[in-house]
Amino acid sequence: MRPLTDEETVAVFEKLSKYIGENIRLLIDRPDGIYCFRLNNERVYYCSEELMKRAANISRDNLVNLGTCFGKFTKTRKFRLHITALDFLAPYAKGFGVTAKSTTDCRRVDPMTIVCFHQADIGEYVRNEETLT
Amino acid sequence: MDSLVQSVLKSSAEKESKYKTTEVVKDIEVDIDEGHLLAVDPNPLDIKLLRSERDSYLKALARNDTQLLINKIWELPVERVEDVIVAKLPEPRTVVPREKPLPKEKPMTKWTQYAREKGINKRKKGRMVWDETAKEWKPRWGYKRAGDDTKDWLIEVPDTADPYEDQFAKRIKAKKERVAKNELQRLRNIARNMKGKVPGVGLTPTDTPDKDDVSRALHLARKSTASLGKFTQELPKEKPAKHVGKKRKFEPMIGNFNEEKKRALDILNKITNKQPTLNITQATNQEIYTEEDQKRIGKGGRNHLEGKAEANKTGTGRASQKEKAGVEKAMVKRDEHPSS
Amino acid sequence: MGQKRDFVDRPKRGPGRKTKKQGLPELPKQLKTEETKKKLGSRSRKRLVKRLRKQTELEQKKLIKKKQVAAAEDESDDENEEGDISSHSDSEDMEVTDGYTDDNKQWLKLSKKSFKKQGTHKQDDVSEDEDDSVEEEMEGGSSSDDDDDEMEDDFIGSDDDETNDDDDLLPVEKAAKKLQKKQKRDEHLAEAELQTNIAASEIYHLPSGQEITKEYILLQLAIFKGMTLSRKEYVNQLLKDMCLYYSYNNYLMMKLLDLFPQEIIEFLEANEAQRPITIRTNTLKTRRRDLAQALINRGVNLDPIGKWSKVGLVIYDSQVPIGATPEYLAGHYMLQGGSSFLPVMALAPQDNERILDMAAAPGGKTTYIGQLMHNTGMLFANDANKDRAKAIISNLHRMGITNCVVSNYDGRTYPKILIGFDRVLLDAPCSGTGVISKDPGVKTNKDEKDILRCSHLQKELILAAIDCCDANSKTGGYIVFSTCSVMVEENEWVIDYALKKRNVKLVPTGLDFGREGFMNFKEYRFHPSMKLTRRFYPHTHNLDGFFVAKLKKFSNRIPGQDKDKEDATEADAHLQETIGKNKKEDTDDSDNEEEKNKTMDVDSATSDGDDKNDDDDEEEEEDDDQEKEFGTGEDAVNRRRIPEFRGISVAVREKKNLKRKFKEQDEDNVSKKQKIVKSMTRSRHDAKISVKRNTTPRSSKKASNETPEASQSLKAFKTAQSVQSSSKTAKTAQHVKGIPKMPKTSQSVKVAPTPVSGSRKNDAQKRNTKKTVEKKKAPKTFTKKRKS
Repeated sequence: MRPLTDEETVAVFEKLSKYIGENIRLLIDRPDGIYCFRLNNERVYYCSEELMKRAANISRDNLVNLGTCFGKFTKTRKFRLHITALDFLAPYAKGFGVTAKSTTDCRRVDPMTIVCFHQADIGEYVRNEETLT
Repeated sequence: MDSLVQSVLKSSAEKESKYKTTEVVKDIEVDIDEGHLLAVDPNPLDIKLLRSERDSYLKALARNDTQLLINKIWELPVERVEDVIVAKLPEPRTVVPREKPLPKEKPMTKWTQYAREKGINKRKKGRMVWDETAKEWKPRWGYKRAGDDTKDWLIEVPDTADPYEDQFAKRIKAKKERVAKNELQRLRNIARNMKGKVPGVGLTPTDTPDKDDVSRALHLARKSTASLGKFTQELPKEKPAKHVGKKRKFEPMIGNFNEEKKRALDILNKITNKQPTLNITQATNQEIYTEEDQKRIGKGGRNHLEGKAEANKTGTGRASQKEKAGVEKAMVKRDEHPSS
Repeated sequence: MGQKRDFVDRPKRGPGRKTKKQGLPELPKQLKTEETKKKLGSRSRKRLVKRLRKQTELEQKKLIKKKQVAAAEDESDDENEEGDISSHSDSEDMEVTDGYTDDNKQWLKLSKKSFKKQGTHKQDDVSEDEDDSVEEEMEGGSSSDDDDDEMEDDFIGSDDDETNDDDDLLPVEKAAKKLQKKQKRDEHLAEAELQTNIAASEIYHLPSGQEITKEYILLQLAIFKGMTLSRKEYVNQLLKDMCLYYSYNNYLMMKLLDLFPQEIIEFLEANEAQRPITIRTNTLKTRRRDLAQALINRGVNLDPIGKWSKVGLVIYDSQVPIGATPEYLAGHYMLQGGSSFLPVMALAPQDNERILDMAAAPGGKTTYIGQLMHNTGMLFANDANKDRAKAIISNLHRMGITNCVVSNYDGRTYPKILIGFDRVLLDAPCSGTGVISKDPGVKTNKDEKDILRCSHLQKELILAAIDCCDANSKTGGYIVFSTCSVMVEENEWVIDYALKKRNVKLVPTGLDFGREGFMNFKEYRFHPSMKLTRRFYPHTHNLDGFFVAKLKKFSNRIPGQDKDKEDATEADAHLQETIGKNKKEDTDDSDNEEEKNKTMDVDSATSDGDDKNDDDDEEEEEDDDQEKEFGTGEDAVNRRRIPEFRGISVAVREKKNLKRKFKEQDEDNVSKKQKIVKSMTRSRHDAKISVKRNTTPRSSKKASNETPEASQSLKAFKTAQSVQSSSKTAKTAQHVKGIPKMPKTSQSVKVAPTPVSGSRKNDAQKRNTKKTVEKKKAPKTFTKKRKS
C-alpha cells in the first residue's frame, strides 16, 4: 500500500473529472476528516486516514480491500473505474449521460464515426465479482 | 375456338391469381439503395393490423418492399452473360459506418520533421535508372543496382591515399556503414516515437570519449558483478558517480497528510485549469509550410501534388482534412471532455 | 528472485513430512463399513490387554462358582456358538440363546415382532445372574462396541472350562491356546459383524407412525421392566430406522438423538424442509417499509420476519429472481438467512467502534455490522479463503459500506497482526449440522473426526478472537461466538474451553428467544453461566440451527502465559484429548503429573475463578481413562443406576491383581507402575465416592498442617478447594466421573516445602524454586513409591 505518484494521481483525477468534474475537490478536502487515495495491488482505494493507518498493519499480499475501491490501473498504466466507485460518483455526478441516436441517424453519420456503447451497470456487482476487488 | 380462348384466359387468370401483382403502391416512397440492395420503408406501421395478425402482416410488408427493390433492379441496365441475365449495380449511396477506428497517422521521423520545417518536398523518383556503363536500365537500389561502386573491377588509387590500403574493401566497408547508420536511425525514430521509456543501449564505443562517457562507463563496470556491485570497493575520496539513473521512490504511506492533500489539490488545479499551450516554433513552422503549400497549389505544379501525397502517406481524399486537424492539434491542446 | 517467501508464521497443520509419504492405499469412504474401529495407541492397547485379562479372570472366578451350581450352562453356551446363524428362527434356540447374546436376541425378536414376555423361559437364577454380570461389565459402551464386547464375553465364558483345565499346562502350550483362542474370537467377531449386517437388512421396513412414537415410550423406563428386550436395543433399533429413513450416518444420528431425545423426529423433519428466504434491509440506503413496497410492486410476496428484527423480511414467493432485482443490485437489501441476524444483534455494534469479523465471507454479517455502525468507526473483515473474501468486497460495496478493511489471514494468526478491537464477531467454521436443510451432504459425510477437528479449530479461533479484543475498551470488550452447528462439541465445549483459558465471562446475548445452552450434557460438565448462551433450532424457531454466545473480556492478561512450558504441555494434552487419540506419552510419568498438578494448584490460588475449571480439566482426562476402562461413556445414566457394591468388588479385585503384578513385574519399568498406581487410585475413587469427597478437604488441611509456610500461600487454594468440594457434594447425584485426584494433590503439596510468602507477585519465583526442588527430589519419590 502506498500513496499515488503524481502521474497516477493525474490519471485518476482526469478520469474522475470526466464524471464529477471539479467535485473531486470535495473528495480530497472533506470536512469530516482526512481522506486519502492509496494504491495496493494496482487498485486505487479511497478511505479515511484512520482506517488506512490501521490497515497498514496488514501486509499487502493479505490486504484484499480497504475502504472503497475506485478502480484499477491497467498494465499500460491507464486508469479504469470500477462500479464500486459509484457511491462516490453518483452524488457529485454532473450529467455525463449519453443519448443514443436512432438507427436512421446512425446510418447517415459520416464514415469516421465510431458507433459503440459501453455503459456501466450495477449488475457488475454480481457479474464481475471476481475482478472487482 | 371460344372454349379454347376461354380456357387459355382462365388458366392465365388462375396464374395471375396465384402470383401477386408486381405493382406496389406506397404512401411515402420507399428509399432504395441498389448498391447495397437495401430498401428502407419509412411508412408507418399499421398498429392495429400488427397487433391482430402480426406475422402475416409483416410478411406481406416485407414482400411488398422486396418487390419494390426488385422492380428497381429491373430498371437497371441489364445484359446477358452466359444465359444469365445480369444487372450491374450502381455505387452504393448509403455510407456504412466503419467498424474499426481510422488507422493512426504514422509518426514523423526526424527527417520528415526536418523536411517539413524546411519545406522540403519529396520528389518521386523512378525505380529504374539508365546505367551508362552497362548501357541498360537497372534498378536504382538493391540487387544489380545501377552504378554499384563495390562491383568495380578496377579502381584508381588516389594520389593522397595510402598505397597499401585496399580500396575495394574500403568501398564495401563504407557501404556497410551507410546501411548500419540507416538502420540505427530507423531504430532511433521508433524509439523516439514510443511514448514510454526506451531501454538504454548501454555504452556505444566512441572515438573520443569525454568525461561523462568515462564516468558512465565506470559506473556500469562497477555494477557489472554477480552481486550488482554491492561489494565493489571504492577508491578513497571517490565522488558519488553521476549519471547513475534514478531510483524509484514513493512517498511514505503514512506521511504528512496535509502535504499530501495539498499535492493532490495542486494536481487537480493543474488538470482543471489546463490552458491550451502554444508551441511557438511548431506553430510558425506549420504556418510557413501551409503558406508555401498554398503558393504551390496556385502554381498548379504537378510535383507538388506527388510530394504532398508522399508526405502524408495517406489517401488523397483525406489530405486536406488531415492538415486542418494537424494545425488544430498544434495550436490547441484541449482536454477531451465527455460533457463539453 | 524467484517466488517470494511468506514469512507469516502459520500455525502447524497436518501431519509431518514423514507421514506425508504415501501411506497404505485406503478404501474409499463409501466402501468402508461404518463401525471402523479406532486405532488404539500403545498405551490404550496395553490397557485393553489388561482389561481383557481382568475380564477373563473375573469370568473364571465366576464360572468356578457357577460350575458348582449349574454344570449344564456350558453346553448351552456351545450350542449357542454353533447355531448362531443357522437356527435363528427356531423358538427353542431362541430360548436358549436369549440369555447370552443380546445381539442374537435383538434380531430374532424383531423378525418375529413380538414384544411380549417369553413365558417359557427355563432360565434359572444362575443364568440370570450371569446375564446381570455381563450387563454390568458392558454398561456404558457404545452400541457397536457393546456388540463386540458381548461377543467377546460370551466367548470367554464358553472357553472357561478349558482354561480351568489348562492351569497345569506348559507356557508354550498356554501361548498356543491363547493364539487359538484369539483366532477363534476373530472369527466370531467377523461372524457377528456379518450377522448384524444381515439383521439390519432383514429388519428393513419403513417406520410406521407407531414406531416413531416409540421414542416417547423409550423415555419411560418403567415400561422396560416387563420387556425382554432392553431399552438400549429399542433405541438402537430406532436409531437404525431413522438412519435409513432420513439417510443419515449412524454417528450423526446418535449425536442428534443425544441432543434431542424427545424432539428428534421434529428436528429431522425440519431438516427436510427448506427455510424461507429472508432478506435484510440495508438501512444505510432505504427503510424496510419502502423496500417492502418496492418489492411488492415487483410481485414479491413478503412479510416482516418477526418481532425480534426490525430489518428482516421473509419472502414467500416471488415472480422475479430475488437475487437480481434492481433493488438488490442497488444494495437496498441483502439475501441472508434469518439466523445470521442473531450473532450481529448479540454483538450490538455501536458507532465509532473498532469491530472485527473474523470469519466474514460472504459478508452478510459484516454488512449488517457496517449498517449498524452507520459507516462510522472501523470494521475489519477477515477470511482465510481469498476467493471467498472477494465475495465480501462486492457485497460491501453494493451495500455502500465504506469503513471496512478486508483481509485474508488465517484467523488464528490475527492477534499477531491487529489487536485492541472493541468487539469481535467469530462466526466460526463448523460442521454445519444446523443447516442440513441447505446442505444435505452433512447427513452422511460428517463423522466424529470432522466434528472434533472443527471443534479444535474453533477453540483456536476463539482464543485468537479473545486475544484480538480489548478488555479496557470503554464501550465494548465483547466477543460473540456463533456457529451454524447444533453439536455440543462445537458450541458449549468451545465456550467452556475459552472460559478456562482466558479472562472472559459469559454475558446475556440480548436475544430474548431461543433455547438456553447446555450446562451439562452427557459426560460434559460446563460452567453454570452457560445458560446465558442461546441455541436455535429449525423445528422450534423456523431458523437454521444456530448457536450464539456472548463473552465479555474483563482482563487483557492471559492466564498462565508467563509459564510457557506448563501451558504448552497442557495444550498438548488438550489437543490429544480433542483429537481423540488419547495417546499419552510414555514419558508422562508421575513427576510430570505432579508438576502439572502443582502449577494448577498455584493457578487456582492466584485466580480465584479458575480453580473449578482446572479441576474440570483433570476430570476430562480421567474421563478418557475411564472410557477406556469401561467402554465409551455413552451411558452415564446407566452407570448411575449401578449399585455401588459393584465398584467395590472391582476395586478389591484390582487391588489383588495389582499386588500380584507387583510381585511379578519387578523388572518392569517405572512408568508402567505409575500407571498401575493411577489405575488403582482411580478404582478406589470408583469404589467410594463419598469417602473421597471427605478426604478432599482433609488432605489439604493435613498439608497445611505439615507445611505452615506453604499454608499461607495456599490459603486461597484451600478456600477454593472447599468451595469446590461443596459444589461437588451438591452435584453428587450425577457426578460420578468428575473426581478430584486427591492423592496427587496431597503429594504435590508435600513435595513443596517453599518458605516463600504467599504474595501473588512472587508466584513465578516460587514456582521456579519448586521446580528445582522437585527435580532434585524426583528420584526419591520413585523410591518411596516402590517401597509402598
